[in-house]
Amino acid sequence: MEPWNFKPAGNFGMAPVAGLASLQREAGLGSIAGQALWGLLTRAYFQIFHRLKIEGEGFLPRQAPFVLVANHCSHLDALVLACALPLRLRLHAFPIAAGDTFFTKPAKAFFAACLLNALPMWRKKCGPHALDVLRQKLVSDPAIFILFPEGTRSRDGKPGRFKAGVGRLVAGSEVPVIPCHLSGCFESLPPDAKRPRFCQIHLKIGQPRVFANVPDERDGWDQISDVLSGDVAALGQPPG
Amino acid sequence: MFNHPLMLPLLTGVGILLALVPVIFLLASRRAGEKLRAELWARYFSWLWLVPLILLPVLLGRLATIAAIGILSLFCYREFARATGFFRERLVSAVVVLGIVLLTAAAADHWYHFFMALPSLVVSLIVILALVRDQPAGYIQRVAMGVLAFLLFGVGLGHMSYFANDRNFQPLLLSIILCVELNDVLAFTCGKLFGKRKLCPGTSPNKTLGGSLGALVLTTAIFALLGSQLFAGTVLASPRHLITMGVLLSLTGQLGDLVVSSIKRDLGIKDMGAGIPGHGGLLDRFDSLLFVGPALFHYIGYYLGVGLDQPARVFF
Repeated sequence: MEPWNFKPAGNFGMAPVAGLASLQREAGLGSIAGQALWGLLTRAYFQIFHRLKIEGEGFLPRQAPFVLVANHCSHLDALVLACALPLRLRLHAFPIAAGDTFFTKPAKAFFAACLLNALPMWRKKCGPHALDVLRQKLVSDPAIFILFPEGTRSRDGKPGRFKAGVGRLVAGSEVPVIPCHLSGCFESLPPDAKRPRFCQIHLKIGQPRVFANVPDERDGWDQISDVLSGDVAALGQPPG
Repeated sequence: MFNHPLMLPLLTGVGILLALVPVIFLLASRRAGEKLRAELWARYFSWLWLVPLILLPVLLGRLATIAAIGILSLFCYREFARATGFFRERLVSAVVVLGIVLLTAAAADHWYHFFMALPSLVVSLIVILALVRDQPAGYIQRVAMGVLAFLLFGVGLGHMSYFANDRNFQPLLLSIILCVELNDVLAFTCGKLFGKRKLCPGTSPNKTLGGSLGALVLTTAIFALLGSQLFAGTVLASPRHLITMGVLLSLTGQLGDLVVSSIKRDLGIKDMGAGIPGHGGLLDRFDSLLFVGPALFHYIGYYLGVGLDQPARVFF
C-alpha cells in the first residue's frame, strides 16, 4: 500500500489574512470555482465594454511554467492579462500584486487571493527570500506569474524602467518569459481615477524568451530586465 | 413573541451566563497562570460573537437554520480537508461537497427518504469516482478520507439541520447546543477541580476521568430539566427517557471531541484552524456536535418522530 502522503495546506494554521497573503497558499474548490467564474466574467466585461483585442495568442506556451511581463499603468492590467489566458492555464496563473495595497485588509485580501489568485510582493520589505520562494514555486507548482517589473503603475501612461526582480526569478532557468504590451488601460482607468472609462484595450503578446544561459547574479538580472524592457517597448511601437 | 414557553428562559439563561462569565473569571482567575487567563478571555470574547451567530438563524426560522448548519458543515469539511491535505483530491472532494449540499437540500425540502438514502448514495459515488484518476496507488486513502469526511461533517452535522423540520425545533436545537457547549465547559471545570486520572492520555492528555464523569452527571441533569419542558405531555417526558437522552448527549458530545482530538494528534497539529481566537478553528468549537445530532435524532425519532406533523416535500 502507498505510504501516507497527505500533508496540510501550505498556509494551514495561519490567521485568515496572513493565510491569504501567504506565498504558500493553495487554492481549494471554492477558490478554483471563484477564479473560473471571475475569469469568465472579466473576459466578457473586457470584450463587451473595452472591445478587447489580443494579438499574438499563439506565442503563449501550452503549459506552465512561464512568466508574463508587461508595462503597468492601471489596475486593469493584471485583469486583462489573466483573462487573456485560456481557462486551463488561468487556474495556474498568479498575478504578483503589491502586498501593501491588496493584502492588508480582509475584504481586499479575500478578493485578491480568492478571485484574482494574486500573490503579494511587499514593496518595502521584499527581501531575497520572497523572490527565492517565488522562483521555487514557479517551477515546482508549476505556475504562471503575471508580473509588472516596473514595480508600480506609471502615473503618466509612459513605461518606466524595469527592476531586476524579474531577472532573479528566471535567470539560469528554462522558464520562458513572454513580453506583453498593454495599450488603452491607462485611458480606461488611470491611477487617479475611481471609475473606468470604456476605451478600447489592446494586448500585444510577443515572442517568448528563455534566459537559461544568463548567470543568476546581479549583472544577469539587470541584463534580463533590460532585454525585457526593450521587448515590451518594441511591442508598443506602431507597426512598420 | 416565542412559540414555545421554554424559549424565553433559554435566551435569558444564555444572556445571564454571558454576563456572569466575566465576574467568575475576575474572581477565580487569580490562581490561574497568565497564559490560561489570556486564553480564557480570548475564548469569552469569541463567544460574544459566536452566540449571536448561532442564535440568529435559529430565531429566523426553519430555512435559515438549515442553511446555517449546511454552511457550518461545509466550513468544517473545509478545515478538515485543508488540515489533512485532502483538498488536493479535487474530484472526490467535490463529491463530498455535493453530498453536503444535497443533504442540506433534502433537509430543507423535509424529504426524509432522500435524506436517509444520501449516505449510501454519496459513499457509493465517492468509491466509484475515486477510480477516475486510473491510479490505484492511494485509492484506499482517497476513498477512506472522503467517506470519513462525508460521514462526520455531512451526515453527522446534517442530522442537526433536520431537527429544524420539527414544530418545536427552536427550543430543541437551542437546548441541545447549549447543553453540548456546557458539557465542554463542565468537563473542563470538573477536570480542573477534581480530575486526577487521565481519560485517554494518548489522544487528549488534558482530559480526565473526573472531568468526563462530572460533565456526564451535570449535563444529564441540565438536559433532563430542559427536556421535561421540551417533551412535556409525550412519552419522552418520563425520567428514564430524559436521563437516557442526557447521557447520550453528554457521551456523544465527549466522543466527538475525542474523535477530532485523535485526528489532530494523528496529523501532529494543535488546532484545526485559526479563525476563532481562543478556540482554534470551527471544528475545535463544534466537534462535540458531530455525533449528538444522529444519536438524539434517532432516539427522538423512534419514540416521537421528527416533524411528522409538518408539510413534507416542500420544494421538490
